[in-house]
Amino acid sequence: MSQYDVLFEPLNINKLTIRNRIVSTAHAEVYATDGGMTTERYIKYYEEKAKGGCGLCICGGSSVVSIDSPNSWWSSVNLSTDRIIPHFQNLADAVHKHGGKIMIQITHMGRRSRWDGENWPNLMSPSGIREPVHRATCKTIEVEEMWRVIGDFAQAARRAKEGGLDGVELSAVHQHLIDQFWSPRVNKRTDEWGGTFEGRMKFGMEVLKAVRAEVGPDFVVGMRITGDEFHPDGLNHDDMKQIAKYYDDTNMVDYFGVVGSGCDTHNTLANVIPNMSYPPEPFLHLAAGIKDVVNVPVIHAQNIKDPNQAKRILEAGYVDFVGMTRAHIADPHFIAKIKMDQVDQIRQCVGANYCIDRQYQGLDVLCVQNAATSREYMGLPHIIEKTTGQIRNVVVVGGGPGGLEAARVAAERGHKVTLIEKAPELGGQITLAAKAPQRDQIAGIARWLVMEVERLGVEIRLNTEADENLVKELNPDVCILTTGGRPFLDQNPAWGAAEGLVVSTWDILSGKVEPGKNVLIYDTICEFSGMSAADYLASKGSLVELVTDDIKPGVGIGGTTFPTYYRSLYEKEVIMTSDMLLEKVYREDGKLVAVLENEYTAQQEERVVDQVVVENGTKANEELYYALKESSCNKGQIDNEALFDIKPQPVLENASFDKNDNGMILWRLGDCVSQRNIHAAMFDALRLCKDL
Amino acid sequence: MILDWLLPTLIAVLLVLAGIGAVRRANLWRAGQAEKVDVIAGLMAMPKRYLHDLHHVVERDKYMSRTHVATGGGFVLAMALVVLVHLFGIESKILAWMLLGALTMMFCGALFVFKRRINPPSRLSKGPWMRLPKNLLVFSITFFVLTLPAAGVLPESFTLGAMGNWILTIVLSVLVLLSLSEMLFGMTWGGPMKHAFAGALHLAFHRRPERFGGGRSTGLKAVELASDSNSMTFGKIHGVAKPSDFKWNQLLGFDACVQCGRCEAVCPAFAAGQPLNPKKLIQDMVVGFAGGTDEKYAGSPYPNKEVGKAKGGVDQIITEGLISSETLWSCTTCRACVEECPMMIEHVDAIVDMRRFLTLEKGETPNKGAQVLENIIATDNPNGHSPASRTHWAADQNLKVMKDVKQVDVLFWVSDGAFDMRSQRILRSFVKLLKAANVDVAILGDEELDSGDVARRLGDDATFQSLAKRNLAVLSQYQFNKIVTTDPHAFHCLKNEYGGFGSDALKGVDVLHHTTFLNQLIKEGRLELDAFASNGGKVTYHDPCYLGRYNGEYEAPRELLASLGIKIAEMERSGYRSRCCGGGGGAPITDIPGERRIADMRMEDVTSTGADMVAVGCQQCTAMLEGVVEPRPVIRDIAEILAGQIREPKEGERV
Repeated sequence: MSQYDVLFEPLNINKLTIRNRIVSTAHAEVYATDGGMTTERYIKYYEEKAKGGCGLCICGGSSVVSIDSPNSWWSSVNLSTDRIIPHFQNLADAVHKHGGKIMIQITHMGRRSRWDGENWPNLMSPSGIREPVHRATCKTIEVEEMWRVIGDFAQAARRAKEGGLDGVELSAVHQHLIDQFWSPRVNKRTDEWGGTFEGRMKFGMEVLKAVRAEVGPDFVVGMRITGDEFHPDGLNHDDMKQIAKYYDDTNMVDYFGVVGSGCDTHNTLANVIPNMSYPPEPFLHLAAGIKDVVNVPVIHAQNIKDPNQAKRILEAGYVDFVGMTRAHIADPHFIAKIKMDQVDQIRQCVGANYCIDRQYQGLDVLCVQNAATSREYMGLPHIIEKTTGQIRNVVVVGGGPGGLEAARVAAERGHKVTLIEKAPELGGQITLAAKAPQRDQIAGIARWLVMEVERLGVEIRLNTEADENLVKELNPDVCILTTGGRPFLDQNPAWGAAEGLVVSTWDILSGKVEPGKNVLIYDTICEFSGMSAADYLASKGSLVELVTDDIKPGVGIGGTTFPTYYRSLYEKEVIMTSDMLLEKVYREDGKLVAVLENEYTAQQEERVVDQVVVENGTKANEELYYALKESSCNKGQIDNEALFDIKPQPVLENASFDKNDNGMILWRLGDCVSQRNIHAAMFDALRLCKDL
Repeated sequence: MILDWLLPTLIAVLLVLAGIGAVRRANLWRAGQAEKVDVIAGLMAMPKRYLHDLHHVVERDKYMSRTHVATGGGFVLAMALVVLVHLFGIESKILAWMLLGALTMMFCGALFVFKRRINPPSRLSKGPWMRLPKNLLVFSITFFVLTLPAAGVLPESFTLGAMGNWILTIVLSVLVLLSLSEMLFGMTWGGPMKHAFAGALHLAFHRRPERFGGGRSTGLKAVELASDSNSMTFGKIHGVAKPSDFKWNQLLGFDACVQCGRCEAVCPAFAAGQPLNPKKLIQDMVVGFAGGTDEKYAGSPYPNKEVGKAKGGVDQIITEGLISSETLWSCTTCRACVEECPMMIEHVDAIVDMRRFLTLEKGETPNKGAQVLENIIATDNPNGHSPASRTHWAADQNLKVMKDVKQVDVLFWVSDGAFDMRSQRILRSFVKLLKAANVDVAILGDEELDSGDVARRLGDDATFQSLAKRNLAVLSQYQFNKIVTTDPHAFHCLKNEYGGFGSDALKGVDVLHHTTFLNQLIKEGRLELDAFASNGGKVTYHDPCYLGRYNGEYEAPRELLASLGIKIAEMERSGYRSRCCGGGGGAPITDIPGERRIADMRMEDVTSTGADMVAVGCQQCTAMLEGVVEPRPVIRDIAEILAGQIREPKEGERV
């Protein structure tokens, strides 16, 4: 008996029994790097979810069925060849071994791709209209090509079935070829493949018929659709209900996955994978609307992150299955922890969208806060085993994400851990980042880490600035410095940081400095901190100009996150200025004058403001490191070969090691080495400490 | 001179009075319901039951065992010889010397009885029991003196003649009267020596004779239901309302109590300050059928209850004035009292008999009891889960279902842990082990129903019988060699309480607890496990009542842990003396308030060993012990510990 019983009611899709109601929905993993074949990394990533109890994994977001739908940009799975079949067999075995089920999404992307690589195809679309997000020009698809692609779908489904997968999901969402035919925004045809409702439905219907004919009645064939494209000239919710019912009436579709929003513009794309600025399950009503008109199970993902939320949705009967995809990226043992009555130990997704934002850059999907995810194949563990060796006295200085992760992992290993933090609370820069509007959920990363180190009995000393004496007094076997950095305002003396002419984004977000009335923010980093400071100041009523020397403000932020910043900044009339360097700041008549210079013309402009905020990254706090370095046995060095291979640091395996003779082991990681990000610090902490 | 006729006369008169008392006492027992016993076989078996089974229990306290052998044995022998020498006047120096020997032995024993009564432990009743050692000493000394002439040590004239001897004669006569009154009259008229008389007959006519020699059985006989067609009991009440509703030999059993309080000392409810003391309960039963009040009771009361106000009568409703129903609902049915009782009294069965009346006739199952019973009736499981969700836990286990396969080697009886997320971990671990050992196994799936344990312990025998019959009907459709369960309560029901329903479903079937079965698999080499790395931590083992005391399985769990290289840090109360977790008998459901929680006390037993993990073999124990607030040791079912040590197949090898 448990409050979560509703999550654990098995339900059949066609004849396939899914052990619980939690699904990892299709997303691009960017792990099929072997020419679109599922790699060991790919398999281990899904095996971990199955091991962790996930009911159904739908893998391979946007896996292609045809050779003219490029797969290399996102290293997606290539089902256009029989070569994939044995790879699927390994994948299916790995998931089935743990009682999970696995299906794959198959698609032809049509115009939603890039043509400038791989086989350099002409992209195809019903009416040859360019797609803006990928800057994709395309041709108008011809009937012969349609029938070839329909056949490709059927062959791809056959390969999935022969490979032992449990089903296929036809992607008719995210503006792929099927829903390009559906949407009057893109399909302007007047032949039998467009125009009328039936005409626009014809291509999808032929695909469905061909696939069903190929795989037979018992193999699961699902369809992922949008619930509303959110474009005035696109498909609205009523259209989508009509479409869902139309396909459901064929009795050939075994389930529908429903996603809110179209995504062929940057702004709508951000809806599809709602980041932390969105409310919980923002588009559930669309999925519930589809469930109203169909007779098969409905799956819905989008910002469903915790078990209570999932339970509430299922108990109310809005949908039959809850997609918790990012929740599983953050913690593939999500289900197991519910079953083990360890709900508080679930590492909850915070919607930082590091995963999907990397994917849109063609980089492998990683979790900002869980470095083990998708690195299972390298031997990075989600469950950290206790050491069978020596119990060590570990001192960690600095309670940011790197220090917290180091303390957590060392404590999980069973060591005696002391964590020292200068500030009155743990979290480091995460605490600052969470002060910005719509960014409060980032604090979840620190919240989980703090709960874990407390649970694991780490001795936490707050309000304590560690110096050489304190560290020596604690007499550690291993000392890990994660002392972070400080705003790097003195790079250009002409900014006048020493004279107090400029302040940092930290000063603003922490509330240390009151917002000015008329503020210029100069941001060389173009990631979250500058945008957050601008949003924060504007929300406090400041008039803000956000200036960068880069090509646009926030250019370093990924495709699902910059739009939500832009919405907020434009709404608050923040002026965004690119290509301007901050040359100098000086005071005149009680005002500050900022001298800007255009990078390309060297033309200078001046701004008269009340406050200048500079975001120029951080400079490492390395004083303590150099104070301790000489007395350490390893002179502070980390063996990169071992680190990159996820192997124990040689210094740990040195049998003759005796700290009384040789001194403690000293490592530093995170921003106190050089500025990187949360993931980088936590990855280093995990790979260093997992063998401690 | 006077003693020559006075002594035999006194002996004869008291023997006659004892005889009359015996008849009167027997008539009190006969107020109980008829129960067929094999009188001859029972009497023939009695000495062996005494010397073997009863002595086995007494022997656990060597000091008292030797004291009793000397005192009791000495008395029985001495009394027989007194009759020969002093009543029948057989003149034999050999007999006289034997009598002297017997009396010496009794004297020595009585000295130790006396010594123990100087500062008696609280569990011992005081009152008349305080005078017994004195009378034992008086008996042995007096008859020793009286026998000296017959043995030729003193001249015959010792008891004859002069004035001085008059005084001696009077003194001796008084002492003879005093001691024989205690030993003979008291034996049948309600004195402490009653235990010898009633105890001997109780052994002969015991209601559960199969327990002698170690047989495992249930003392709970199926209630004959008034709703049964052609029932002879139509219109009669169900369960025990009045003392006269007990079987006659149950009443006899109550009379055997020696008030030693061993039951009280081990009773978890008593220790928790709940209103139950098994010793007092048995004494109240005696008050019930003999009539009167409990004011003469001189032992520990029911915690926080007064003594002296309880009144009983053979036809008076027990819970209306004699004992409170709270007392009956405090019992966890752990059988610690039954296990410790040197007189082989069956406290638990009596309690359940009385609960039957409260539940079946009065509908007064307290707290969540009525709800749970309604749940069981409506859904066939105590917590009222949808019956269709019984097999949800196994959705990803790929288990065969009997309905499909019909025939299997091992039937896994899942029990109601199927509905509980914590218990499901035990189930999955066990399945993992079965798969690793390639066991041909299947489950009943949704055809399985609750075993009926909770219903039966809560007194609802009608529901128990209904479940048992329906479960047996399902089982009878299939063929299997073994039935294995991780739930000791279901195990006990299947093994010991499903007989007598006229079903052959379990005929020739081995009913096993999972620890027993897993131990077999390991011994047969079918299951290979890696040693358990304790990292310096200690492991202790908690014996579930329904596995240990009820079914005698103490070794298999220990052997399993030992097979992993675990050296068990045993609790002081382990094995047959294991303390209940508090979860049996529906006690968590009826939830009678006390001063402490039984599970907390059990966890103190665990922590006192320094263990950081306690191994158990029961989902109910797991739930109770995990209910103890942290920090506390972790609780793991043995199946969970074992499943963590399954030797992983080598790379490339397929499971």
